[in-house]
Parts: sequence; structure tokens; C-alpha cells
Amino acid sequence: MVVLVFSQLIAFKHVKPGGCTYNLLMRINNNLNNGCLYSTEVSKKIDANDLDANENTKMSKAMKAYLERAKAYDDFIKTEENNYNLGKLHLSNMMGVKSTNFTQIDVDKAIRYLFPSGLYDKKARPIMKHPKDIFPVKKAAQFDSTGRPYHSMFYTTKPHYYKALYDVVECMHLLDATEDKLIKNDNHILVPIDLSNSQWVNQENLEGLLVEKISTEQEYFISSIEKLCQHPLANDVKDFIMIYRKLKQSVMQNSTIPELMYDSNNRPYILVTDCMRKNARGEVLVIGQGSGKITVNGLPMVNYFKNLQEREQIIFPLHFTDMMDRVDVEARITGGGPSGQSGAIRWGIAWALRSFVDLNMIQKMKVAGLITRDWRIRERKKPGQEGARRKFTWKKR
Amino acid sequence: MNLFNRFILRIKKSTNLRNTSSFAETMELSDEILPSIYTRETDPVYHNESHLNKLYNIPSKDCATILSHGLMNQYKIQLKIFNEMSILIRKPSIELLSYLSKSDYAKPVNKYVIYGECGSGKSTLLYHLLHYGYNTNKIIVYVNHAQYWFTKPKEIKYSEIERNIIDLPIDTRIWLDKFKLLNNHILCQANIKLSKSYKWGTGANFPKDSSLIDLINFGIDQTRYASEIVAALVNELKQASRIGLCNVLVLIDNYNIFFSHYTQIKNSLKKFALTSEFSLTQNFLEITKSDWCNGQIIVTVDTAVNKDRQESHLPRYLLTKEGFEHLDPFLPINVENYSEDEFYTMIDYYKHKKLIRSLTSNGEKELKLLSGYNPYKLMDLCKHL
Repeated sequence: MVVLVFSQLIAFKHVKPGGCTYNLLMRINNNLNNGCLYSTEVSKKIDANDLDANENTKMSKAMKAYLERAKAYDDFIKTEENNYNLGKLHLSNMMGVKSTNFTQIDVDKAIRYLFPSGLYDKKARPIMKHPKDIFPVKKAAQFDSTGRPYHSMFYTTKPHYYKALYDVVECMHLLDATEDKLIKNDNHILVPIDLSNSQWVNQENLEGLLVEKISTEQEYFISSIEKLCQHPLANDVKDFIMIYRKLKQSVMQNSTIPELMYDSNNRPYILVTDCMRKNARGEVLVIGQGSGKITVNGLPMVNYFKNLQEREQIIFPLHFTDMMDRVDVEARITGGGPSGQSGAIRWGIAWALRSFVDLNMIQKMKVAGLITRDWRIRERKKPGQEGARRKFTWKKR
Repeated sequence: MNLFNRFILRIKKSTNLRNTSSFAETMELSDEILPSIYTRETDPVYHNESHLNKLYNIPSKDCATILSHGLMNQYKIQLKIFNEMSILIRKPSIELLSYLSKSDYAKPVNKYVIYGECGSGKSTLLYHLLHYGYNTNKIIVYVNHAQYWFTKPKEIKYSEIERNIIDLPIDTRIWLDKFKLLNNHILCQANIKLSKSYKWGTGANFPKDSSLIDLINFGIDQTRYASEIVAALVNELKQASRIGLCNVLVLIDNYNIFFSHYTQIKNSLKKFALTSEFSLTQNFLEITKSDWCNGQIIVTVDTAVNKDRQESHLPRYLLTKEGFEHLDPFLPINVENYSEDEFYTMIDYYKHKKLIRSLTSNGEKELKLLSGYNPYKLMDLCKHL
């Protein structure tokens, strides 16, 4: 029914009832439920109940205009929807499939078959989708039928941003009060807040959190909330602070390291598929309890890679982790040139070695850039140009 | 040794350390107390299993003669900075030396084909055998840079006798010169006489029973007859060893070049010539036939010289059917990459020569992985700047 766009609400799950943040957050929640409802269905509700029944009652001009716009939009969507369903029926007929089983996936397939397109950009190719997926959803009314806004800070033009700032200040006051109490009672145990494994959300994410366009306000907001973090009791409102912080990538990735597997000879091994660098693709098998034997496509590494540069690339992760004579490596690689192939194998070995070394070493490898994947690929040549970026030599005539 | 250390090493060596190095001192020391990586036995005749994985020095007085045919560039520089020519005594050379000392010289010549990966030490093995031949007073027919005859010769001349044969007079004369330098003392001793008379043109006339040295000297002086004289020389050497006047050791490096179809020389029809159209090829194919005795033939095959055959280093593939049938029957001998012991000997050698310093155990492991125990690649990693 009602779609709540606020991702802040997700954070409520982690808050214990009874705490000082709990009350605060419950108040935020109530405000939200009054305020921001984004859906066409809401407008329909108003449309059905209020428009006819309240014809006689006083209605603001803004509300009237809004209702007219909403009606026009709904009508438009309805006709588009009819057209879409009719088109789907025709398509299923053409493809010889029962219309009842004809899903969106089948529609996409049929369109790809009937209108084959060689256009480079996938967005430029012909599509047929439900109008709701194509036309943007209109923002729902922020005020009731009498023209009274739901949100108390509606006239600031950025109600949620200012509300968030108010919440920060309110937290500050709350903490000051508790601090006074603690000093009075003289049982002063401070737990410092630890924010080392997270960082502030960037502007884009903050906009997503607040559902509002902000620009320079982000800096002001971050500086305000940083003041809150410096409060000696900031750990009490950590849940509130963590709404605006993002966990660091390294902390999130640590949990995904695969466990070692064992083959028939009871040797541990890790298989890394999808190794890539430039145009080279391949897979790397790192086997423990080895002697430093490295083969590439069945050949010894020394014979496969003629240049020293490539051999050094492959040895680098083994040398870095001091595993040169403790593992065997088998790599299968296709495509690309020697530099790309060796780079792909280097990444594969480093990725597999995570399971063989301790967490401290993984952090070191990350700093050395071994874990980072190089996603860059060759840029295509453009028509009317000499290469990807370079233009033809300009001649006057 | 990681890259950083090597970099430091390079900086150190490129600055004043080179001038103040204890190079001369080291030589004196090595004369007195020989490190355990060396063996005092400098005569290959007495080399056996007990000398395996040890280095021996070619005596400096013989060095100039034995290496008269020239060295690989890399070796040349090493020879200059070390002031000695050290050869590692390895399993295939011990094997070959035992065959050479035990074989029956009354029977037709035995043929050995040395094969192995690129840079595994085949040419170095030939130097060892060359030294053996020199010490046992054999006449040595040694060819080591045959590939350059077909890619960048000094001069091309279409033969006066047969129009479709290509002569390389200057290259031939240079080879004759080196041959004489290498075998001078034995040629003087043996005093070989010509078995038949030779006559080319008006000036060149060699009656029967004239000296072979005169023939060679004539070839060196008169460049235009050099090719014909090599043909005569091959013929006479075979004849002389049949009678038992001399013992001939034929050593040809990169023998498969003679069966390659890749040359950069155009023949009289303005097409790229085959290697078989060269008089030198015909001469050296002639001496590797089985129709003579009292000699030994040892050749190597390598992928490096044959541009149209790169997939395998095995003799049948590199020699092609034609070459295989020409040499057959022969004994193939594989030269492998370094074993663990040989690897450590060489590391100790490079340490002794101060090419590498402060090598950690991790550095050794890295060298093993980077070189894959390949002699040439190891030398390349540890070489001078």
C-alpha cells in the first residue's frame, strides 16, 4: 500500500527500546509517517474520497491544481497500460505463445528477435516495457486537502535536511543532560565511540537518505554531526550516527574469504575463476603444500612468458606473502597479450592466497594493491577519429 | 634478492665501486685457495663423475686458441670481466666424454645430436668437448655461427664452377683462418699430404702429395678460392682419417640451420635461396656423412636459429625428415636445465665473482622461480650491467 522510501527506518531494528535514542527515533518515525508518502496510490485515495465528498468544503487552489494534474497523469498511465497489454497480446500471437504465460522476459526476447539492433548503446535499442517502468513516478502531495502541509518544516523547502539538523542538536542536548546526571551521581564510566571502520556517506548517498537535493549543505551537516561525535557520551547515540556513516570496504569484504578445500591427496587448494586484466580471461588454481611449481596453460611459467617483466608480475604476490616455495600454481588463460595475461594471473594468485594467509597479511596485500582489481579495458575506436580519443591531423585544405 | 636490492646493486656498481673493486685481488686469492665450487682438474680427459657440479677453468695459455672461433656476446663480456673461462662439468658432458674415450675408432664415425631447451647449455657443452679435442690432439672442425652465413654474410658470389651454387668467400676465409689457428700444432705434426691433385683456374695448382697446410694457407691468401679449398679440405681430412693419419672431431653448433628454409640471401634467379644452395652447407653436410672412420661427429640442434620451426626442441622435428635421414644413425643426448646442486654451484660462483651480493634465502627462491633453473636465464638475471 504505502511505500516508505526512507532508508532511515531500516536502522530502527538495531535500536534497543528504552534507550535515549529510542525515544528520539520514535519521534522521527512519527513525523515521517505523517509527512512523506510517495505513491500514486495515495493520490488516488484522496481523489476517490475527498474530491467528490468535499466539493462543498473549502479547498486550496494548490490542492485543486494538484488533483487535476494527478488525474491527467493517471489517465495517461491507464491508456499507456492498455496499449502495453494490447501490444503484449499481439507479440504473444506473433511468437506463437499463450498470452497467459507471456512475461516481461518473453517480451524482451521477442523484441530482441523482431527488431535486431546493432546500436552500440544498449539504452538506444528498441524496448517495450510497462509504462510504470518507463515514465517517472510523480511526487505525491505534501499537504492535505485544505492545503496544510504535513511536515512542520515544509516552508523551509528542505524539510528533511533541516529535520536531520534538528535531530543532531536534540541528541546533543540529550547527551548533555545525561552527562550532567552522571556527574551528579559520580559513576562516570566513559566508553569512547569507535568510528574507525566506517566513513561519512557522500553527497549522493545523503541525498538518497534525505530524499532531497542538497549541495553545499552536506558539508555543514557533516561538520555538525562531527561535533556530536566529539561529545564524551557520543557512544550512546552511535545508532543515530551510524545512519549517516558507511562501513569501509575492507571491513565488508573480510567475511567473504572462502575456506580452503581439499583434494584427493589431502592438499588444500583454492580455484579462482574470472581472473581478468585487459582482454585476458582465465582461471588460477593455487594448491598448498607445494614447491613453487608454476604452470601456465600446461607449460612452465618460464617458457610461457619470455620476458622478465611478466615473470616478475606473477611472482610478486608469492614473494610478498613469502609463499614462493609453499604453493603450486596452475593457470589457464586465454585472450589478450602477455602483459594482460600475467596481470590476470597475478590477481588470481593474490585472490586465492587470501585463504592461505592471516588477516594482517591480507591488509598488507590490500595496501600493496594486490587485491584490487584492474577493471580498465581498451577503449573503442570512434568513427571520424583516428583512435579512441585522438583526432585526425587537421589540415587546412 | 628483490628488485630493490638489485637496483641498489646496480647503483653501487655503476658508481665508484667498479674502479675500486678488488677484482685483481680475487684472482690472486683464487690461485692460492681455490673455492670448493672449482676443481683443480683442468684437463677434460680426466673428468669423471667425481667432478660433477664443479667448475673448471680452461688454462689461460690455451684460452685464446680454444676460443678462437669466437664466443656468444654474453660470454665474451663475462670472459673479459672475470678474466677466466669457467665451464660447469655437467652430466651430459661427462656422458659424452666417456663415449668419446671408449668408442672404437676403426668403425665408421659415431654421431651425437645434442638437444635441449633454448639456453640450457648446449653450446657451452661444445666448448667443453672442444677443449677435450684440443687436449687429445684431434683435428677439430668447429662451426659455431653458421646462422649468420645465411642472414648477414660479408660477401655473396655465385660459384664459378656451378652457377646455381652460392659462395661466401670472405666468411669462408674467416672460417679457414680460425680453423688453422685452432689446429695449427696438429697439422704441423701430422704433416698430411694431399691424396690427389687439385687445379682451379690458372694460378691455383696443387699436385698430389703437396702439403695440406699449403692448401689452407692458399685459401686464406686467395679469398676467391676459399670455398673450393674448404671442399678439398673436407675431402682430404676424411681421406687422411680413413688412413689413420689423424683423428678428426667435428663439432657443429646449431646444425639444424642447414635444413632450414629461411635465408635472407637471393640466388641467381632473384628468389630467396635455400640453405642447401650454399657451398658451405654442402661441405659441412659432406663431413657429417657416415662414409669415413677415425672420427666423431657432435652436433647441436636449437630452436633459436630455425624461424619456421619453433614448437618443439626435439631433434626429429628440428632436423626435419631430410636432416634426420642424413644424420641417421645418431645418438640423441638431452641437455636439461640446472638441477638443484648445479643451481647452487652457479649461485656460489656468481657470489664468488661478486656479481650478486648479500643474497637472502628469499632471493634464492625468487631467482629459482624467475629463471626456472634455466642456465641462460639465470645468467641473464645475475649478469653484469
